[in-house]
Amino acid sequence: MLQCIFFLSDAGEVMLEKQMTGHHVDRSICSWFWDYVLSQGGDPSMILPVIASPTHYLFQVFRDGIVFLACTQVEMPPLMGIEFLCRVADVLTDYLGGLNEDVIKDNFVIVYELLDEMMDNGVPLTTEPNILREMLAPPNIVSKMLSVVTGKNSNVSTKLPDATASSIPWRKINTKHSSNEVYVNLVEEMDAIFNRDGILVKCEIYGEVQVNSHLPGLPDLTLSFSNPSILNDVRFHPCVRFRPWEADQILSFVPPDGEFRLMSYRVKKLKSTPIYVKPQLTSNAGHSRISVLVGIHNDPGKTIDSITVQFQLPLCVSSANFTPNHGTVNILADKTCRWSIGQVPKGKSPCLSGNLVLEADLEKLHVFPVFRVGFRIMGVASSGLQIHRLDVKNTPSEPYKGFRALTQSGEYEVRS
Amino acid sequence: MFHQFSATAESLSKASSLVLRIGTDAHLYDDPDDVSIGPLLESRFDSEKVDALKRLLALLAQGSDVSQFFPQVVKNVASQSLELKKLVYLYLLHYAEKRQNEALLSINCFQKDLSDTNPLVRAWALRTMAGIRLHAVAPLVLRAITKCARDPSAYVRKCAAYALPKLYDLHHDEDNSSFEELVDILLNDHSPGVVGAAAAAFKSVCPSSLFLIAKSFRRLCEILPDVEEWGQIVLIEILLRYIIARHGIVKESIMFSLSTMSTTPVADGFPTFSGTSGNCQTLVGTTCDVNMITLMCKSYIDGQIECFAQTGCSNSNDDKLDLSLTSSTNDDVVMLLRCTSPLLWSHNSAVVLAAAGVHWIMAPRENIERIIKPLLFILRSCQASKYVILCNLLVFAKAVPPFFSQYYEDFFVCSYDTYQIRALKLEILSIIATESSIPIILQEFQDYVKDPDRRFVADTVAAIGLCAQRLPMVASACLEGLLAITFYESSLSSSSQIDGEAGVLVQAIMSIKAIIKQNPDSYDRVIVQLACNLDRIKIPAARALVIWIIGEYSVIGQIIPKVVPSILNYLAWSFTSEEPDTKLQILNTAAKVLLCAQGADSLAFRKILSYFIELAKYDINYDNGRMHHEPGGKILNGKMHSSISSTKSSRIYLPGSLSQIVLHAASGYEPLPKPCSLLNTDLTAGVVNETNDSDISSGSSIEESGSVYDSDHSSISSDDGNESVNDSNDTESTALAVRNDVQDVREKTLVDVSNVNVCVDDSNENTKGNLSAFISTDLAELMPKLALESWLDEEPGVSSIQTTQQASSGRISINNLNCTVTPKLHSLLDPTTNNGLRVEYAFSYEISTISSMLVLVEIFFENCSSEPIKNIALKDGESSLSVESSDQVLGESESLLRTANVPPVLSTEEIASLDPGQRVKKLIEIRFPHHLLPLKLAVTCNGKKFSTKLWPDIGYFLKPLSMNTSAFIDHERQLPGMFEYSKRCTFKDHIEKIAPVKDDSSIHSDKIILLSQILASKVLSNCNVSLVCADIPVSFNIDDASGLCLRFSGELLSNSKPCLISILVEGKFSEPLVLTVKINCEETVFGLNLLNRVAAFLQ
Repeated sequence: MLQCIFFLSDAGEVMLEKQMTGHHVDRSICSWFWDYVLSQGGDPSMILPVIASPTHYLFQVFRDGIVFLACTQVEMPPLMGIEFLCRVADVLTDYLGGLNEDVIKDNFVIVYELLDEMMDNGVPLTTEPNILREMLAPPNIVSKMLSVVTGKNSNVSTKLPDATASSIPWRKINTKHSSNEVYVNLVEEMDAIFNRDGILVKCEIYGEVQVNSHLPGLPDLTLSFSNPSILNDVRFHPCVRFRPWEADQILSFVPPDGEFRLMSYRVKKLKSTPIYVKPQLTSNAGHSRISVLVGIHNDPGKTIDSITVQFQLPLCVSSANFTPNHGTVNILADKTCRWSIGQVPKGKSPCLSGNLVLEADLEKLHVFPVFRVGFRIMGVASSGLQIHRLDVKNTPSEPYKGFRALTQSGEYEVRS
Repeated sequence: MFHQFSATAESLSKASSLVLRIGTDAHLYDDPDDVSIGPLLESRFDSEKVDALKRLLALLAQGSDVSQFFPQVVKNVASQSLELKKLVYLYLLHYAEKRQNEALLSINCFQKDLSDTNPLVRAWALRTMAGIRLHAVAPLVLRAITKCARDPSAYVRKCAAYALPKLYDLHHDEDNSSFEELVDILLNDHSPGVVGAAAAAFKSVCPSSLFLIAKSFRRLCEILPDVEEWGQIVLIEILLRYIIARHGIVKESIMFSLSTMSTTPVADGFPTFSGTSGNCQTLVGTTCDVNMITLMCKSYIDGQIECFAQTGCSNSNDDKLDLSLTSSTNDDVVMLLRCTSPLLWSHNSAVVLAAAGVHWIMAPRENIERIIKPLLFILRSCQASKYVILCNLLVFAKAVPPFFSQYYEDFFVCSYDTYQIRALKLEILSIIATESSIPIILQEFQDYVKDPDRRFVADTVAAIGLCAQRLPMVASACLEGLLAITFYESSLSSSSQIDGEAGVLVQAIMSIKAIIKQNPDSYDRVIVQLACNLDRIKIPAARALVIWIIGEYSVIGQIIPKVVPSILNYLAWSFTSEEPDTKLQILNTAAKVLLCAQGADSLAFRKILSYFIELAKYDINYDNGRMHHEPGGKILNGKMHSSISSTKSSRIYLPGSLSQIVLHAASGYEPLPKPCSLLNTDLTAGVVNETNDSDISSGSSIEESGSVYDSDHSSISSDDGNESVNDSNDTESTALAVRNDVQDVREKTLVDVSNVNVCVDDSNENTKGNLSAFISTDLAELMPKLALESWLDEEPGVSSIQTTQQASSGRISINNLNCTVTPKLHSLLDPTTNNGLRVEYAFSYEISTISSMLVLVEIFFENCSSEPIKNIALKDGESSLSVESSDQVLGESESLLRTANVPPVLSTEEIASLDPGQRVKKLIEIRFPHHLLPLKLAVTCNGKKFSTKLWPDIGYFLKPLSMNTSAFIDHERQLPGMFEYSKRCTFKDHIEKIAPVKDDSSIHSDKIILLSQILASKVLSNCNVSLVCADIPVSFNIDDASGLCLRFSGELLSNSKPCLISILVEGKFSEPLVLTVKINCEETVFGLNLLNRVAAFLQ
């Protein structure tokens, strides 16, 4: 059980503490933690998620510049702690429309109330976003304005949500909607690794089926794919019934209201990627040349946009200059170079060339950067997964059904 | 230009965020106490009370203690406004335990709320009432829980289940029956949500009362998929424990099948076993997994010894076997496995891992593979889960590598992975590599070798070595690759001394060494190749390793014996320019060669060895301490990683547990219950006796098997590491004996040589029986009980030792040395903000005579205006609070500080008038609330009041404690482990001061004294401690300051506990130095804060 949760900014400031049990945890644990972070290089995203401090075991999750730190002194599944912190981050992002230091401080009362509902005595209590939303109204523009005008500002519901008693806790009992529509969105991320010889080592798709449902009553949906056999791994939202999937690989579910992730999946061993990035580094006598070529490989049929190439110059490079023939290059303080290309122009392939000056006593480069590639393709699910049909039962009238797809880069990297 | 842009962008974003903040509670967080909270709480309007409570919450969030408002807050518990209620509850839960008496006032309201018609109100009241932890009302809470456990609302029943552990934690006696009864009621609830909560309650209230599960086991299994995700995690665990306790281990499971294979090789006794034995054979064929699995079972199960005792003797008696084992066709087992398998698809990774754990332990081994893919899929969720999953996968992979061998791609490292994740992936890859996948994996490793993270590269090189040892078919290919890396790295490292570069080279040679060790005869060419490239390898540790290899295998094959003489000649030629650790290995190798040599050669070798020893004698004159310390130390450092992982890998805990991640049993960790320890009433008492009998009868066979696992379980590279040291330890004893003689002589003649020996205690602790320990104990006797003072006394220029504290403590007289201790002046009040009064303060070195809680501060008042300022006084800024509440504050802090009657500021008399330009010094005594938190002060002058904050300096919460060096080391030894913290920082201040001093050996000593002065004055200017000693090394290298060690001691003002500071210098005078600051102090928090402070002012 978690004894206490702290929110820390990325500068180590304690923004908030919420004691979960009667055994209070002193704040000094945060300074211990921060010293630990500093001793590990100062980047909270690079440190261990489970740390044994002299007095407590710490779980930490770093999201959007905020460290979510939880303490316990007794054995508990560490993934439970981590998953809970991730859930807190998700819920807060959802409630506050984003996550950063200011937004936490500005809405600290709601954060407290949420934490109190989400955990009791160190054990997760209510984490279902739909119920939480009914218990505590999220701050929105209307309520903010109302509070300014009337001076009243209560977001605490006076009624227990009915769903707490139902067997489908993710859905309100009597949902009334003027709209009668459901959208299914395939969002895929492509992970790929090209080795130093330019050979595709690994290419797979991590995808999510995101559903946005605004349906009245208690609708019963079935979603089937034309080619479910390509799915390597799957994970489901609690609303998905296991039996139909086991038997026929059909998703049968009563959806929560609003947006949710119905399913995530993985398709492995893809053979090709939509774009190629070819870095080349040559070096001799203290000077190095770098050139990066980007082009479209297997045209997916839709435009590829937001193409970026990012890499970190080795520490031994003392200065560098780059000239792209398309797009812009930014060099950040930690020697990270980011080449924003956007779309590949017609008739020429983007190329970045540059000179690297090595530190005085170095003859040639002996370490080589990894190039991270970003891109986005609207309207394409690169895995080839196809939705066969979506049936909606139990609604008064046939709802509007919309389908979309998107592929973007995930952990897509090219070694040089 | 960019600055301007960014500035505009910043202000724009600020403006936009300001707009967004309208209507939020932003202003409350920023200035929670800009209005007086007390009156707001007394207001008639709920909205104002809400506002006040939000302010209190903001203060609480920021870490202030606002418990003084408790009486006013607790009154509002009766409010009808739910929002107000919620906020009051939040406040109450935080402070109630501290303010027990006032909290009692709220009980009546809770009682009333418990019969409210709104279930939400009932639930909140129960949650809060159980959460405020008042012993006095425990019986009332129990009654409330009993009532709520039968509430019509499922949510209230759920809260009742949550309240049980709270009450149990607060108060429980031997008679657990009322708790058990309630858990039983809740476990049998028809609502899945309540069952999940009841499972959590079961786990913390009565985890061993597994008989409660017995009657509803099947229903619990069926309801499992509908329980909330968090409840599922706990419930799965309980059900697993129940099955083990009730039915025992599943015969076909991996736990049983392989472990019995190893303990009782003759498995004929198992009729059911023949079906799967073929599979098992293939598994056993792959190396070392049997030991691993046996170790794993041993770790998983409580009282495992008994369980295997039974199986050990069961060959003769099948009936007994059936008692402790069950088959996979057992209905309960089937049920549990069936109901947990869909949970492998859960979107909650903790549920997936919990379900996978059940299958890992219970499922027939041919069905286990289904858990692999879901587990690997979690690797694609957040970084934090990734690490935890990898830690668990590592254990699984070690046990049964074939399960993972086809999924090697999932463990390829990508640039997004943190270092720890990379290290785990490498380890798994080297375990699961098979003959078919190894080419691809090695290809991948080749890419990693060029990674910018050199630590990771070193690990990769180690992993290549491990792969080569596991799969002999690729050994020669790996060896070639490693040699290439060695030569490539050695060509590089000569030109650049980038951090970590050396580690790669050393690791490469260590991997080579490990491969050679497997089959030395076939790799003689490799050894020759290494030897021939010896002059290219510049890193001392690497050279030392190569020389060790030559010595170790000097008689292998045909070629080596022929080259050895010329190598020794070469070494003889280069000996004087070698680093100490290399020299040691040269001596070692020469001795080994001599021992193996025969005939005419031996004469030549004897000559060479005596030449070396002769050189060493001369050498030792210069640097004895380093000679003895670093060889062992450095070689060990290089191997630290692998040796740690091997000792830790033998610790296995249940999958998914916290203990498995931190690798020690966390408090509350329970292994699985003893199989069949839960006896149904159907089972007769005779069964118990039978099991006991069998325990005793076969005790011996177990001990045998136990020893097998223990001895055979350490990874190869690591025991090499120790061995190399041990070997050298043994074989070179002759050389050492000679050197001891030399030392004896040396001790008489050279009195003024100081030795740096800061790591004595470390090496004594860690390296039992290896070289460095051997030597350090040796040294401790030999070493003169030196220190700066003895040395300074002889140096005419530096001899004056100030006696402010105590002459014997060797505090350097800084006045005489032209570098004064300058306490820093901090500004308290700026003349521009008031009428021209400047107030500054500095911490005094004197100690208060009134109370140990007080810190003396010198305050300087200066009139910067043109007119006289009248009636200047300094007061405590908190006195604006009402008398009563400040009393309460004191009352609260009393327990912490024990000096309730000392006011925060012992103020001095008023200054009647201060003329323009006049400066007056006053001494005041201050009791800071905390060593980091500022004290609010108010300066009044000319009738006006200015509030300000006085920031404490942690260095002045100490007072000097004089001791000599040996007392210091004694104290240091008494404060090991968690009382010792260290931090590295770079120090540059000395460069400009030392730079003018010419590089001349005669001035070398001056330079190092100058440096110690600079450092000492730096520390003494910022902390009120005394200098114990400065250990100054004498090294070959004139420019080298490494080894200088300054020690300071002080004691805490508040409780007189000693606090030791040591600063160890590394680096050269001409460059920024690396300082390792180490603090030993019993007060962990204080010590850590002090460490930060010291590191900060040194930087």
